[in-house]
Amino acid sequence: MISWWKGAALALVAAAGLAAPLPAQATDIELFFPVPVDGALARNMSGLIKEFNDSHPDIKATPVFTGSYDDTLLKTRAAIKAGKPPAAVIMSANFLTDLSIEREIVPMDDLIQKEGKSQDAFMGQFFPALLPNAVIDRKVYGVPFHNSTPLLYINADHFKEAGLDPDKPPRNWAELVDAARKLTKREGDRTTRWGLMMPSNYDYGGWILEALTMSNGGRYYNEEYGGEVYYDTPTMLGALTFWSDLVHKAKVHPAGEQKGPAVTGAFLAGQASMMIISTGSLTFIRDTAKFPFRVAFVPMNVRQAVPIGGASLVQPAGLSPEKRAAGWTLIQWLTSPEKSGWWSRATGYFAPNKAAYDLPEMKAFLEKNPDAKIAVDQLANAKPWFATYRTVPVRKAIEDELQAVLSGKRQPKEALAAAQKAAAALMRPYVEDTALRLPGAE
Amino acid sequence: MSAPPSGPVTREVTPQIVRWAVAGLALVWAVPFWWMLVAAFRPAGSTADASLLPSLAPTLANFAEAWASADFPLYFLNSVAICAGILLVQLVTASLAGYVFARLEFPGRGLLFGLFLVQLMLVPVVLLVPNLKTIAALGLYDTLPGVMVPYCATAFGTFLMRQSFREVPRELEDAAMIDGAGWWARIRLIYLPLTKPALVAFSIVSVTSHWNEFLWPLMVINSPDKRPLTLGLASFTLSAEGMQAWGLIAAGTFLVSLPLLAAFLIFQRRFVNSFLASGIK
Repeated sequence: MISWWKGAALALVAAAGLAAPLPAQATDIELFFPVPVDGALARNMSGLIKEFNDSHPDIKATPVFTGSYDDTLLKTRAAIKAGKPPAAVIMSANFLTDLSIEREIVPMDDLIQKEGKSQDAFMGQFFPALLPNAVIDRKVYGVPFHNSTPLLYINADHFKEAGLDPDKPPRNWAELVDAARKLTKREGDRTTRWGLMMPSNYDYGGWILEALTMSNGGRYYNEEYGGEVYYDTPTMLGALTFWSDLVHKAKVHPAGEQKGPAVTGAFLAGQASMMIISTGSLTFIRDTAKFPFRVAFVPMNVRQAVPIGGASLVQPAGLSPEKRAAGWTLIQWLTSPEKSGWWSRATGYFAPNKAAYDLPEMKAFLEKNPDAKIAVDQLANAKPWFATYRTVPVRKAIEDELQAVLSGKRQPKEALAAAQKAAAALMRPYVEDTALRLPGAE
Repeated sequence: MSAPPSGPVTREVTPQIVRWAVAGLALVWAVPFWWMLVAAFRPAGSTADASLLPSLAPTLANFAEAWASADFPLYFLNSVAICAGILLVQLVTASLAGYVFARLEFPGRGLLFGLFLVQLMLVPVVLLVPNLKTIAALGLYDTLPGVMVPYCATAFGTFLMRQSFREVPRELEDAAMIDGAGWWARIRLIYLPLTKPALVAFSIVSVTSHWNEFLWPLMVINSPDKRPLTLGLASFTLSAEGMQAWGLIAAGTFLVSLPLLAAFLIFQRRFVNSFLASGIK
């Protein structure tokens, strides 16, 4: 299947080359990529692109490191406005809706069609839970590259010590609080070990809150329309109050903003017995933890549900046909089962391409690391990641309130009302241009 | 330079308090540097990441890994080229513009100077996209000159040089004029030598700010071989998920800040004098 892809893509590039006045010249393209996980992966990415260039003499791809997910969005937008769009970008999957509304990325259906594939056949390679964040208005705007879900990590030694069974991690919120109470250790007024930690920094906090809200039966946002979020709702009130109570009532979770790396650090240092963080950290935890640990689905209250995370490959608007074709070749190569599986084993992200799990090396890997299998199994409960018009500020509207609640400066009810109001103001221009643009009112 | 004690009472108490306050502030400023040193030499995987106590078994492994993670000599050259290029142009433009605003009389001078100062109040992020468009139109996208160009004119430098030039006695310039010195000779032989402290102080501010800059080079530079140190450092230390390898980050940061730290230690006395004389603190 791969060789067929490559053949078709090469033919496409060759055809584009013939049409151009100067044939036989390698097409220079750039790939913008953020560093979402451990820094050593930046080097892995350079190695991956070198392998691509060696096997594709007619394309010269340059990997361009572009900072965090948010910085990558900023740099991509600036490059598009400056008339220098990169041929492909590894973009946080929940920015695609906003980018497509602003027409800054283009659908790839024509490229898929040229290869004689239907959209369903092409996107059918990937796990269905990833499609809502990649296919917008029935057009393919992104090809999933690496994806994650939130996962519960537990310290097996601490569980045994507290009289809990590490092979039966908490499955619902009641069990979670109960375990967290037993695991928390105090010396006088000082807590020396936290039962549970969850990250609440920008980008991470909104995602974890979405996981709790979905586990509480909620939707967080309107998956069909980019101008609506459900912040001020009973499901989210329950989720935020639960988190707030863990901090202020049960006192099993530290107060204030907790950054992702700090949560991971506390868990690895034995200062936190449980944490809910991304599957993308799984390989790092496995390589670093000096104690036995287990992973489990995110505990539920009403239903089992988590949002996806991770990134997709997108193509900006304004590319020349040659660069677009070359970028498309690179995108297909990076999302092939072999590369997808290799990247998954290196990072802990699951491979979006289902065929990656049929390869013998992946089967052997899962045999050896059953925790990676739990991350994939949780995909059965996965829902889309919240994506709206102006995703980043709309997300920050709730994250600011979340941090205020965790610091004890706000009550959940008033926090949600404020976040809803701020988000509505941010999305107003889009809403007025779409849902509230009514005929007959002129 | 140092204010003489004004009376017997203050002589007893105030200098003591001030001395303790300064020592306390110095300690606050020194702790991050100390932590960076301690963390850089700590073996990887030890749990006491936040500790300020040095490890009993110091290691150079973090430095080896940081050095292998990025092409530091090349990034160093790029950073030097960017900072030196910007500074050279800025010294010329700031002193010429400073002279114009300080000494030449022309209608609308105050208004023009006011407009110039407005630049100081703009948040740099607002200018990212317009500047990048200009850079691309000039054909400087993904080049080192592209990183430098927006800083060729400096509102802060112009303001500083204007203030310094105004303090130079006009009589000196008048005397030079009588001797037949042109404007260029007057700037070069009278104004610049007399305002050397301001020039040095401005140079330090300019070099440190551009040495540490991240966002603008991130926007302009794509090719890995044109990265300055800050981008090179970020490419292996930034991480959104997974734990940060603090030893590696500290070692990398140490390597990046070492040239500036060394320069400051060598020229310390001169720098401090310049800041005192120019009134920037």
